[in-house]
Amino acid sequence: MDRHPQEPTPRGLILIGIGLFGVLAALLLGLKPSGLVPNSGGLELAREFFAAALDPAWTREPGGLTPNPTPLLPELGLAALRTLIFAAAAMSLSILVGLPLGVVASDTWWKRSSFASARITAAGRALQTGVRFWIALMRSVHELIWAVVLLAAVGLNTFGAVLAIAIPYAGTLAKVFSEMLDEAPRHSAKAFEGIGVRPLHVFLFGLLPRALPDMIAYTAYRFECAVRSSAVLGFFGYPTLGYYVSLSFGDGRFHETWTAIYLLLALILFLEWWSTAIRSRLVS
Amino acid sequence: MSESGHTLLPDEQHPVEPSRRLLWVSAVAAASLVSLAWLSGEIDVNGFFGAQRVQNLERFLAEDAVPFPLRESGFSWAGLWSWVRAHWQEGGGQATLTTLWIAVASMALAGAGALLIAPWVARTISTKEPFLQNGSKRPRGASWIWASRSARLLCILARALPEYILAFLWVAILPGSAWPAVLALALHNGGILGRLFGETLENLERRPLQALRALGGSRGQVTALAAIPVALPRFLLYFFYRFETCVREATVLGMLGIVSLGYQIQDARSRLAYDDLLLLVGFGVLLVLLADLTSHAVRAWLRREAPR
Repeated sequence: MDRHPQEPTPRGLILIGIGLFGVLAALLLGLKPSGLVPNSGGLELAREFFAAALDPAWTREPGGLTPNPTPLLPELGLAALRTLIFAAAAMSLSILVGLPLGVVASDTWWKRSSFASARITAAGRALQTGVRFWIALMRSVHELIWAVVLLAAVGLNTFGAVLAIAIPYAGTLAKVFSEMLDEAPRHSAKAFEGIGVRPLHVFLFGLLPRALPDMIAYTAYRFECAVRSSAVLGFFGYPTLGYYVSLSFGDGRFHETWTAIYLLLALILFLEWWSTAIRSRLVS
Repeated sequence: MSESGHTLLPDEQHPVEPSRRLLWVSAVAAASLVSLAWLSGEIDVNGFFGAQRVQNLERFLAEDAVPFPLRESGFSWAGLWSWVRAHWQEGGGQATLTTLWIAVASMALAGAGALLIAPWVARTISTKEPFLQNGSKRPRGASWIWASRSARLLCILARALPEYILAFLWVAILPGSAWPAVLALALHNGGILGRLFGETLENLERRPLQALRALGGSRGQVTALAAIPVALPRFLLYFFYRFETCVREATVLGMLGIVSLGYQIQDARSRLAYDDLLLLVGFGVLLVLLADLTSHAVRAWLRREAPR
């Protein structure tokens, strides 16, 4: 491409655009550096809260409904287990729904045969487009908004919490799965076609296995995200770790807040290590 | 095989397979966790489909979710449109735009932060002699190793906690502005981008950069004027991929009292105005779809203009 050296490149233009929009956004939101300095009340709170960081609580501080100190870890451990349970249930549902949707949304499913490329029928194209739109809709509402909508529609119910995570995650899995199927290496599929294997079998045994390692690695990563979402659902009254963060912080029992935060942090860091280990064994 | 004249190195015969045991352990763990989840009774599926809930749902769909002006008069497009417009003008539109600006401001901040930390994350730069070839084993220098390790740790910690919890804590300390949401989103996304940017820098073709070193370029010069510009298209791809997620996330953080869509949604919920709630969710969907389209278009353009 002939370009004068002084002329900005497209990426340069985008970079400048990001900077300008960032400044504009800060101005419109009234974000001033001085806004970062807390007022005296905030400062007091911050000092007290961060001082508690080095001294997480092991027992529930007496007061309110609990006159005697009770051990905190069993309670929080159960909350951590519930956080995991909600995330696992949501992931199992979203794989169940996301996988078929992802297959239908992919191009490879409709153009399985490389000899008759672009043989996708009008009906097939319509179905694919419809499914892609549906996926976008599932994804475009955040899991916490789904939680609020489901709370309004049916009230507090743990299956509602699972659904709230499962709906957007199924959409995300479907989108990413369809992209992975489209980008998977085609050699084995072509070889199968060459010896006259049926298109469905080409897909199942030639294409899907090539995309599977990526799909599993991505699912492991999404599980880690689901645990974060599940923890935050606690803020809406579900008995996960977020519930204890919100409750203890609201009551000013900061030492307990830190225990819950550290537990969540440990859980997430462990899962992150694990999903990285899985990825390194699956994807070269 | 070993009797044959030449001896092969072990990894020429069998490329070393990384251990599969972890995968089996993971599969078993995942299966047992999922069965535990569904069998433990913690997830109340029956309750969800119980008569009471179904009744709630029916009432919600048949009455609560119907736009207020249409409940009496019956359905008309004009009535629906004027209702939507009134809500857009009475704060809904403002909240939607605020959500967008929160996402833009925090992504700009996250991008700048990631750009600053990425060279420290990259093990090819944060080392005693930068941009050396793969194979060469030169001492990396203990202080450089620690610099790169702490940069990585910083990135991991920054993104470990959910944005919502970070913003929740900051709202208490810095009430009354959009800073808590912006800070939480910037920190989380900065951590993710910092690591991705660093890995991109690490995977760059090293020979040209080495040549610049040989010509006398300093570590900073080669990084800022050669490595980062070459990696920039990749950086931008990652940036816009995160931007989509960030817009979705910004909607939610309003629930903590920052005047964006989430705030209005929470407000509608507390007024039991579920028709308004769904409309605001719809505004959010529109915003997210627009952000997705923009990001998609920019990424497609980048791929064309600056292929990697």
